[in-house]
Amino acid sequence: MPPFRIGLLKRKSDTKETKPKVSDSSQEESDDEKLISGQLDADGDDTDSEHEEEEASDHEQDEVLFDDSADSTLGEDEHVADASEESSDLEDSEEDDDDDEGTSKEEESGDESEKSSVDSGAESGPVHTQSGASDSETDKKSKKDKRQKVKVKKDRGQKTESSIDRLADTIKKTSVTQLKPVGQKDEYESGDTSDEEDRRNTVGDVPMWWYNEYPHVGYDLDGRRIIKPPQRDQIDEFLKKCEDPEFWRTVRDPSTGQDVILSKKDLKLIHRLREGHVPDPTHDEYQPWVEWFTREVLQTPLRAFPEHKRSFLPSRSEQKQVARIVHALKMGWTKTRKQLADERRKKREKNFYNLWGSTTEEEEQRLRGIHKHIPAPRRALPSHAESYNPPPEYLLDSKELKEWNKLSETPWKRKYTFLPTQYASLRQVPAYERFTRERFLRCLDLYLAPRAIKMRLTISPEDLVPKLPSPRDLQPFPTSESLVMRGHVGLVRSVDFDPAGQYVVSGGDDCTLRVWESSTGRCLRTVRLAESVSRVAWIPTAGLSLVAAAAGARLLLLNPGADVGAHRVAQRTDDLLEEPPPKHDVQVDERTSSAVEWQRVTPEEWARGVRLAISHFKPVTHVAWHARGDYLCATLREGASRAVVVHQVSRRRSQLPFSRAKGLVQCALFHPTRPLLFVATQRVVRVYDLVKQELVRKLLTGAQWISHMAVHPAGDNLLVASYDRKCIWFDLELSSKPYQTLRLHGGAVRAVAFHRRYPLFASAGDDDNIIVSHGMVYNDLLQNPLLVPLKQLRAGGRAEELCVLDVRWHPTQPWLLAAGADSTLRLYT
Amino acid sequence: MSADISEVQLQVRFITKQEQYAVPDSPYAIQSNVQSSELNTLINALLKESSAAVEKAVEFDFLVCGELLCTSLSEHLQEKAVSTEETIEIEYLERFPAPAPQDCLMHDDWVSTVQAHQNWILSGSYDNSLHIWSTKGQHKLAIPGHTSPVKAVCWVSFNGDQAVFASGSHDQSAMLWIWNVARNSVDCVVTCRGHDKGVECLAVSADATRFVTGSWDNNICLWSASLSDEDNVPSKKRSKPEHGNSREPLSTLKGHREAVSGVQWMDFNTVLSSGWDHLLKIWDCELGGIKQDVAGNKAFFDANWSPLNNSIITASADRHIRLYDPRSTESIVKTTFTSHTGWVQSVRWSTTRDTLFLSAGYDGQVKLWETRSPRTPLYDLSGHEDKVLCCDWSNPALLVSGSSDNTLRIFKAKHYGTA
Repeated sequence: MPPFRIGLLKRKSDTKETKPKVSDSSQEESDDEKLISGQLDADGDDTDSEHEEEEASDHEQDEVLFDDSADSTLGEDEHVADASEESSDLEDSEEDDDDDEGTSKEEESGDESEKSSVDSGAESGPVHTQSGASDSETDKKSKKDKRQKVKVKKDRGQKTESSIDRLADTIKKTSVTQLKPVGQKDEYESGDTSDEEDRRNTVGDVPMWWYNEYPHVGYDLDGRRIIKPPQRDQIDEFLKKCEDPEFWRTVRDPSTGQDVILSKKDLKLIHRLREGHVPDPTHDEYQPWVEWFTREVLQTPLRAFPEHKRSFLPSRSEQKQVARIVHALKMGWTKTRKQLADERRKKREKNFYNLWGSTTEEEEQRLRGIHKHIPAPRRALPSHAESYNPPPEYLLDSKELKEWNKLSETPWKRKYTFLPTQYASLRQVPAYERFTRERFLRCLDLYLAPRAIKMRLTISPEDLVPKLPSPRDLQPFPTSESLVMRGHVGLVRSVDFDPAGQYVVSGGDDCTLRVWESSTGRCLRTVRLAESVSRVAWIPTAGLSLVAAAAGARLLLLNPGADVGAHRVAQRTDDLLEEPPPKHDVQVDERTSSAVEWQRVTPEEWARGVRLAISHFKPVTHVAWHARGDYLCATLREGASRAVVVHQVSRRRSQLPFSRAKGLVQCALFHPTRPLLFVATQRVVRVYDLVKQELVRKLLTGAQWISHMAVHPAGDNLLVASYDRKCIWFDLELSSKPYQTLRLHGGAVRAVAFHRRYPLFASAGDDDNIIVSHGMVYNDLLQNPLLVPLKQLRAGGRAEELCVLDVRWHPTQPWLLAAGADSTLRLYT
Repeated sequence: MSADISEVQLQVRFITKQEQYAVPDSPYAIQSNVQSSELNTLINALLKESSAAVEKAVEFDFLVCGELLCTSLSEHLQEKAVSTEETIEIEYLERFPAPAPQDCLMHDDWVSTVQAHQNWILSGSYDNSLHIWSTKGQHKLAIPGHTSPVKAVCWVSFNGDQAVFASGSHDQSAMLWIWNVARNSVDCVVTCRGHDKGVECLAVSADATRFVTGSWDNNICLWSASLSDEDNVPSKKRSKPEHGNSREPLSTLKGHREAVSGVQWMDFNTVLSSGWDHLLKIWDCELGGIKQDVAGNKAFFDANWSPLNNSIITASADRHIRLYDPRSTESIVKTTFTSHTGWVQSVRWSTTRDTLFLSAGYDGQVKLWETRSPRTPLYDLSGHEDKVLCCDWSNPALLVSGSSDNTLRIFKAKHYGTA
């Protein structure tokens, strides 16, 4: 139901009530929703005037009322369009009729309508109220009739009667339909909605072009046809466009075919929609923002209650899930997203075979199944002689040609394999008759002669030399000769230091024993003995002052005297040795007594310093003190089974430790700490346990003739010198075989010595060099001794093919003393 | 000799600390291949121009980059890696005049120790005797008394006609002697017995009240040098009337692990000692403890400390003389002087010049060193035919050395700086 109808009904109902709010209506009229209302007004007037002309003032108010409702039901009903169309028609006609009627009131009303339609219509309300209600209404009614007729006359010549009739029909219909419900409404439908009264097209949502062929557009609720409003052709349209100021906002309702003039509100709405705004103009898009949740971290939480305990505990189910995923990752069941993407990409990639591209040489050989391919040897490039026009010196002259011909039987002896020939131009070179043959042979060479890489041994001599530390890092060791002690005449056979290192004792072929000051080389004392001294040894303990000297078959124990060493010690030594111990203490068997005899020293010998004398049955070659200084081991030359004699100084007693001769004994030494005795025979060193009286070890030296040996101060290593130029190091912990054999000398090695403090040892012999070596012995049993030859020291002169007869280290300093054959002692520091 | 460098012109400036020889402080351009003799003539010429006070030609030494110029200037600069572009400052100082051989005193045996005093020279010999000589070379007295080679002698005091001296010997004793100069008679006052082995070195304190001896028994003994012995030794311990009175050490300083080779007083109760155990020790005599240890890497044969520059020079069992600074805790050798070809047995600082010292070596050379010339000694005092065992420069005018060729040689140091 169109709004004006509603308004009409309302007005009807309102008539019974009191007439309210003129001011309201006027105020509302002043609003801009006057456009439609204005025309409807006329329409409504129309209808009203037909029935209730007396209630002019009322219905004017109502206009305003239903105006409001018309807003909400815009375009819903064809009636609106209808009415508006009518109204517009009316207006048109009205304007047309202006001249005809010429009444002032009409003009007024026309003005009024114009105003209401075009303007905001602020004054339209008041105008209505001012104007005489009844008059205007009646005028309008009459006018409408006229107008319609005029219109028909004017515009629709061809449609004429039918359309007029139809119009009249509709008017009638409306009036009829309106009348009835008004009456009904009055009676029993006062509160009901007026929607049901709507002249509604009931065809539904069907395409309206179905009704193109028909005069109606559908059916209303009562099943009556809704007749199409008169159709306008292009000319009508154009005229309307020209004449009708409302044309721009006139739309046609497709369901009814009625024209609807859009109100200002509608336009605004459309405008808003087009601009993409919210349709509701009252909606504020830029409301002030309330920050309910702020990004700023607050000191205290907005929520006052503490976090639940649960929130601090890691979730067990989550943990399980993660563990499952991690396990799957570890087992390789799942793949990372990257792996999956890679796989997908790989799958998507197309595989191309490199048909035409060149492969590398190795790749090609691999493909062909060739391993370690050796390229064929290149042929030599052609020389000048092979040129078609060789320089004349390459051409064979007559003599060479003769030789060439002579060698026809043995062509491989020829200078060339071909005959250099000169041609004027390349064109004249004939075909080479042996080309095929030679190419074939070349192919045979390549094919039948297998090529192989010949492996050469690439070991440089430097690699075979063991890695040794630099001698520079192994300092200190003696590097130069510092002192020469002269005084002896003839060979100096043996030297020794006193335990403090202050003095040196030496004995030689000049039958003297000399005591020297080691720091200055001053000879402090000379003791003349009966025979040449073959061996001297200072007692290793500091508490006694004794020197053992082997002179011929006698072994003398001398006190070097009051000037040498401490007085007190010398005095004590004298006191000890002055009186022999009681005889009953010394029990010597026959075998020993026949070999050894302890002699009383004569007073003149005593004055010379000799304190004890032991005479043997054979000449003494070697003497060695035990570390404690009580025992003395003498080695006799050609002593056979009695070659080794052990003397005890304190009891003046001798022992023969061996009953059977094991060989030619060269020397015998005590172990520095344990009761062991090392006996060197010609080729073997035997180690005897003196307590158990048994052979402990037998060291096979591999040397032809042992000359001398020395025990490392720690006792576990033995150095053996041999006449066949060798120094043999035994590690007794390691094995009975030599640990290392040092062939450093050019002649027989006659003496070896270990330093007591420094890891040094020296060897000297018949060549002109004394070799100083580093011999580090480690406490760690797993580490073998480190032997590094350090320095060759020039020895003194030679005499009778001998050079150095003995070497000895200073007990505390890294100084080496050598007894030379040139009757000197040389101190190297 | 690089010829290209010899052609270079050098900008030099001469400075000196001896005001009487000052020359104008302007740079001179000289050839780089000049030797110190040419520089010498240049300086002398400049001196003659600037001041008439210097009549005689003076010999100068030149210090370039803190080291004495011994070779040509260019070589010296090359060695020091100094650019020849810059102006080089050359400090010059009057050269220590060459000592002149004065005398050769023959002994019967090796001269093992010597000390000179104002007029007298005391020497000890391997024939167990002491000898007193005048500085003129006159043999005053031969003093038997020791029973072993005399290893150390030292003058204690001079008091008019009475001179006191001490001697130490390998017979394990030190003796205190009074020598009446006028009567030329000597008397052994005290025999100091306390060492177990030979006395190797001896030093008398500056106030002449005490002396220390170092011995082969690894100990250092501190003795009183007073001539009256009643308060020192109980009467019952008096023995051996032939040797006079015996005396016990005031204290024994034990610490060296091997023989003590040299002792010297640094002040009234501080003693410096050197040992064969590669250590220099500085002792506090009152407390009897070690103040400081300086470790070397060779056995020390002698050490000498100079109060003038507070450094120690040492003679070791090698060819080098090393200069230590006792104030530095680590044993960093400040300078090594190398010119001897054998062991250096003895070193002595000059008592008047803080940069000069004397060394005696087994190569038969006595060398006079300048500390700023570590490779070349100032002078080689040759003359000995065998190992030089001792040297002494106690008398600034006399450079005395004793040798194993049984001679004692005296070189006269000319006075300088008097011009």
